[in-house]
Amino acid sequence: MRNSPPDSPVISLGERLPGGGPDAPLTQVLQSLRPDLMRFAHWLARDRSLAEDIVQESLLRAWRSREALKDPAAARPWLLTIVRREHARLYERKRLELVPLEDVADTYVAPGAAAAEDDLFALRSGIMRLPLEYREPLVLQVLGGFSTEEIARELNLSVTAVLTRLFRARNKLRVLCGMGAAPEPDGEGAVP
Amino acid sequence: MNCAQARLHIGADPRSESPELTAHLTSCPACRRFRDEMLTLEGRIQRALQDPPQLGARRPAPRTLWRPLALAASVLVATVAVLAVWLVQPSRSLAHDVVLHVQEEPESWLARNAVSAQGIAAALRNAGVDFGVTSDRITYAQSCWFHGHYVPHLVVQTTQGPATVLILRHETVRASHAFSEAGLSGVIVPAGTGSIAVLAHGGDMRQLAGELSRDVHWLPEPAQPPPPKS
Repeated sequence: MRNSPPDSPVISLGERLPGGGPDAPLTQVLQSLRPDLMRFAHWLARDRSLAEDIVQESLLRAWRSREALKDPAAARPWLLTIVRREHARLYERKRLELVPLEDVADTYVAPGAAAAEDDLFALRSGIMRLPLEYREPLVLQVLGGFSTEEIARELNLSVTAVLTRLFRARNKLRVLCGMGAAPEPDGEGAVP
Repeated sequence: MNCAQARLHIGADPRSESPELTAHLTSCPACRRFRDEMLTLEGRIQRALQDPPQLGARRPAPRTLWRPLALAASVLVATVAVLAVWLVQPSRSLAHDVVLHVQEEPESWLARNAVSAQGIAAALRNAGVDFGVTSDRITYAQSCWFHGHYVPHLVVQTTQGPATVLILRHETVRASHAFSEAGLSGVIVPAGTGSIAVLAHGGDMRQLAGELSRDVHWLPEPAQPPPPKS
């Protein structure tokens, strides 16, 4: 785990909160959103310690660029975006090049598996095993509250591509829950 | 909006209430049923996403049980302390044996050609392991006799050099255990009811081990072939 410099918000959060400095509102926001950020990062990174690293780095970045946050009400999507980008950076920088797990994840989603196990446990496991290209927009949408258009902008994809990825993500989870795969629309919305 | 477009939008966002979709749903019972199904699934997805693995909150104990629980906890702590000493020892021994095994197959580190999917499958078969690995990064795959069982022995090429992976169906570890011995560093992590050992000439293998442990699936254990003749 990386160490925080002495002036990091991670360290100073607790110390600054009781005070009434100019950054106190932001530190409160950062602290209150930390569980959300952690949950979000965990779903992206699939690893708790990695998620902690990501959140810590993201808070540092947010702190350094705090002037960019004009509207405190927009802090949550702003921070989630920073977390997503930090995850992407970490993924590019640190990921060991070995097996493209995303490519083989399909083989692990056994039809009807949820019927035999605890539903939520199986579903969590299924979400964890979704390829990142499907898991990321799903988490952005469901946990982050991002619209399809916002996800498309963030991931640099077309809206149609995002719709398709979200459809496929849920379709895989349908199969996991024993609901059967829905036929993939082959109309003008579908992307190969 | 036609049915294909409607289903794409429903599948992508079951809660969508766009005017086009709403208009389509009023005249299409089949798409309405599909949306009802997807809304049911959506509720489950939302509940699942609220609580990633390892982040689950523990259910608080009722206050009236505080004292008996505290007493029980103190007994438990003492028991766990004793058990921990007992449990750590086999793990250390396992790490030592893993290192010995790898040292006995030094050629495994030298392989540079990717093993075929059939070769990987053959290495996994005797242990009843589904790993779904089809990577061209695997340069060594054997079924090795280890602690009385055949275990898959793989070498995976990583950015930090080759890493040995032993998939140990019959070796239970309670927690991740990093070790360093004979110039090799490694980690043994729980994987279902078994474990996975990852070993390399330096570098942090925890991330790799964590990824692998999530992707190993234990199939029904096949009948063991006879042990190799020594």
